[in-house]
Amino acid sequence: MRHTNLTILIIAVLLVIIGILSIYSATYQKEGEFWQLIYKRQILWSIFGLMLFLFFSNFNYRRLWEMTYFLYALALFLLLLVFVLGIVRLGAQRWLKFVWFSIQPSEIAKLVMVIFLARYFSTKSMGDLSLQVNRLKLWRAFIVPFLFVAVPMGLIIEQPDLGSGAMLLLIFITMLYLAGVRLRYISLFLSAIAVCMPILWHFLRAYQRDRLMVFLNPNIDPLGAGYTVIQSKIAVGSGGFLGKGWLLGTQSQLRFLPESHTDFIFATFAEEWGFLGICVLLFLYYLLFRQGLYIAERASDNFAKLLAYGISLMLGLQVVVNIAMNIGIAPVVGLPLPLMSYGGSSMFLTFISLGILCNINKRRTVF
Amino acid sequence: MRVKIIHWVVILSFLYIAFNILNIEVLQGKKFKDLSIQNCIRLIPQEGSRGRILDRQGNIIVDNSLSYNVLVSALGNNAVDKALLGASRILGTDFKALKDTFRKRYVASFMPATIAKNIDIKKAIALEELKPDLDNIIIQPYPLRNYPYGKLACHVIGYLNEIDLWRLTKLADYGYKTRDIVGFGGVEEKYDYLLRQETGGLSVAVDHRGRFANVVGFKPPQNGKDIQLTIDLKIQKIVEDKLKGWNGSVVLMNPYTGEVIAMANCPSFDPVLFVKKSDSSLSGIFNDPDATFVNRAISAAYAPGSVFKLVTAAAALETGKINSSTTINCSGGLRIGNRQFACWDTHNQQDLTSAIADSCDVFFYRAGIMVGAQTIYDYAVKFGFAHTTGIDLPYEVPGFVPSPLLRKIYTFKNWFEGDTANFSIGQGDLLVTPLQVARMIGVFANKGTLVTPYLIKSIGDSDFTNLKRKNVKLSLKDATINYIRQGMREVVSDPKGTANILSGLPIAVAGKTGTAQVSRGQPHGWFSGFFPYQSPKFVICVFLERGGSGHQASSVAKQIIEDMIQQGLVN
Repeated sequence: MRHTNLTILIIAVLLVIIGILSIYSATYQKEGEFWQLIYKRQILWSIFGLMLFLFFSNFNYRRLWEMTYFLYALALFLLLLVFVLGIVRLGAQRWLKFVWFSIQPSEIAKLVMVIFLARYFSTKSMGDLSLQVNRLKLWRAFIVPFLFVAVPMGLIIEQPDLGSGAMLLLIFITMLYLAGVRLRYISLFLSAIAVCMPILWHFLRAYQRDRLMVFLNPNIDPLGAGYTVIQSKIAVGSGGFLGKGWLLGTQSQLRFLPESHTDFIFATFAEEWGFLGICVLLFLYYLLFRQGLYIAERASDNFAKLLAYGISLMLGLQVVVNIAMNIGIAPVVGLPLPLMSYGGSSMFLTFISLGILCNINKRRTVF
Repeated sequence: MRVKIIHWVVILSFLYIAFNILNIEVLQGKKFKDLSIQNCIRLIPQEGSRGRILDRQGNIIVDNSLSYNVLVSALGNNAVDKALLGASRILGTDFKALKDTFRKRYVASFMPATIAKNIDIKKAIALEELKPDLDNIIIQPYPLRNYPYGKLACHVIGYLNEIDLWRLTKLADYGYKTRDIVGFGGVEEKYDYLLRQETGGLSVAVDHRGRFANVVGFKPPQNGKDIQLTIDLKIQKIVEDKLKGWNGSVVLMNPYTGEVIAMANCPSFDPVLFVKKSDSSLSGIFNDPDATFVNRAISAAYAPGSVFKLVTAAAALETGKINSSTTINCSGGLRIGNRQFACWDTHNQQDLTSAIADSCDVFFYRAGIMVGAQTIYDYAVKFGFAHTTGIDLPYEVPGFVPSPLLRKIYTFKNWFEGDTANFSIGQGDLLVTPLQVARMIGVFANKGTLVTPYLIKSIGDSDFTNLKRKNVKLSLKDATINYIRQGMREVVSDPKGTANILSGLPIAVAGKTGTAQVSRGQPHGWFSGFFPYQSPKFVICVFLERGGSGHQASSVAKQIIEDMIQQGLVN
């Protein structure tokens, strides 16, 4: 039990260190105080993150159950606030500026939705102690939770942040599946999405459409929307088996690769450490995910179980989608690589999620 | 159950990602590695300098002078304007014009654009002093061909110009590219590959905007190899000086080794024109009817006239048709068939030496007819006519020696005795180059060896003086050679000799004049001989195209030898 928590902590710290090394490599040659400070800030974020991790691993997760609606309201409030007070970066209004740092409410929303869904599907019926979910009809099993998810999702997509929005949708679908909602509802939902796709297309921003088009064929616009995909593929591909060596990656050092310290940190890492490094990295992420599933399987109550599944999946899916987009097999959507990408919000939320996981693991024996 | 499925889905996605990465990183790694290098590595070329051309003493005939190009690198628009403004003040060029040039020459922001070429050193220094304020001005020294003696030996040296399509197709395999500067004519063309510099340069890494990031590698430019010629600059100067005003060619050669000491042609051209590239003066040269670019000593063939009589004489002596006591009476002409073949004078009784001295035609008509045209042809070929001499210059022509057989083969016409008569005094279809004549005279000077003339003393560090050359020992009897030599001496020493004008010189000269009739205009004038008579050091051949007579050629030769003696160049 302790063993599992320690493993999680060690893996997380290892990933954070790898992340900081890559961030340093991607930025150390860039001029300006801002760039020189970035890796130091990331160190600071990770220390705060570790503190949050320790806090939440000792914070009874049952309290989250009680706080669910408050958290949901808070997330909605922050998301709305973004529209009012948010600062615009990279063409999107995703950040809320506090005194000395800015947070990304969509990151918070992701975790809150996991908590919310875990609570929703773990509700027991009055009569017996078995889960209601299996017997729920379309309305209670699907439409109500969907409405709850759709509101923050809509807000996030409107920011616009297609990546986090899509992430929310993915989390929703997997949570439905894991909670035991009837398959026919899920397949109904998926086919509904498929049918709606052409209509949704019109609601996308021009740049989002470009990105999706570019995903299908990056060469249609090599200097515009396709640039990032091509450069990131070149960065990953030129790493070769052993990589170019730390601080020697030309793609990131010479700024061919945009966002080389945030969303495309994986490409930076891949260029310098090669296939061997990537295998190690993927293995670490997989281990982390595996520990989450392990905790979920042994969790003592349904809320904890679903919460642990949700958190593990949220992390796992983000890793998969981010790396897939780095190597050009998924469209470029703004999504950080947990624990490695530069950014406080993502770092804090990931550590909080891991803290919750550890707490679930600890509490198991209490009952 | 559902958990297991989700677990597997995630595992499979991880594996899918891993395989994709394996694909682009390891299987297609080479391609992406190349792409990443292409992304960020740029080359900035730097020229080496072309090999110099020296004379036999090591004096420079052609070298390179530094010219200065002004380049401006693009670091922000404002800085460019400031730099251009500063440059326009010093260069005296309009700012707007400079800006236009900059825009035209601009390639990429990492690559400085040339805004002015060939500025003089004063302006270069003035610009260099601007540098503390305007650090994006670059003064780049650039080697240009420099001809300290102007036109001197221009045909031997050749000139430089941008490669043409014909040369490019021929030379592409040797790494020549469009817009390369290559040699045209002369040594510059023949040894272009050795003279040629190798462009080196910096390879620099640039960032995503193409701005300079850091230097990745440096390949120093390689200078071309220096070539030392056998030409003697002082003699060449004398020769060119004396030839001025004529159309023609002079060759001086060492009779024993075949070293060409001087080779001059007139009219000549100034190779600097190609460096400066002024179109108007160039088109003037190219359209000149006097064939300015032709190296007459090797690239044009003319009727030799009486100079050829020496070959006829050698043939007649060798075949035993005549000997030292043979005399022939010249009555001012000879009737062959139904045509009268005239002599230029009435010489009465002539033996071989006096016939050579007086250049008596009748003697050689008769001697030639006795020997036969085919035998004269054989001897002409033996003396090196009808073949290129093998000198190390491009565009040498073989000339032409007629024979009854060739005429039959090529024109289906018959050969008559009259043709033999014309042939034996060097008229008719016979065509030779001045260098071939010098080489033939060389056989008598060195007593029997046909040498291969050459021009290259050394290239780089390798000395070619003792290179094994094809020098053919002709199987001529000593008596033949001595007898003809004696005749050649009498050409000068005999008061009636055709080149008696040379007898006043303090050095004994032997030679033979020639006046070759041509179909239109003045006859060509020839004088070819060797000196000093007893131990020859030089073979000289003076050829004046439409120069009137051999007498004119002799007088040019006299002036040349006179000056050489005066400057102490003979001993």
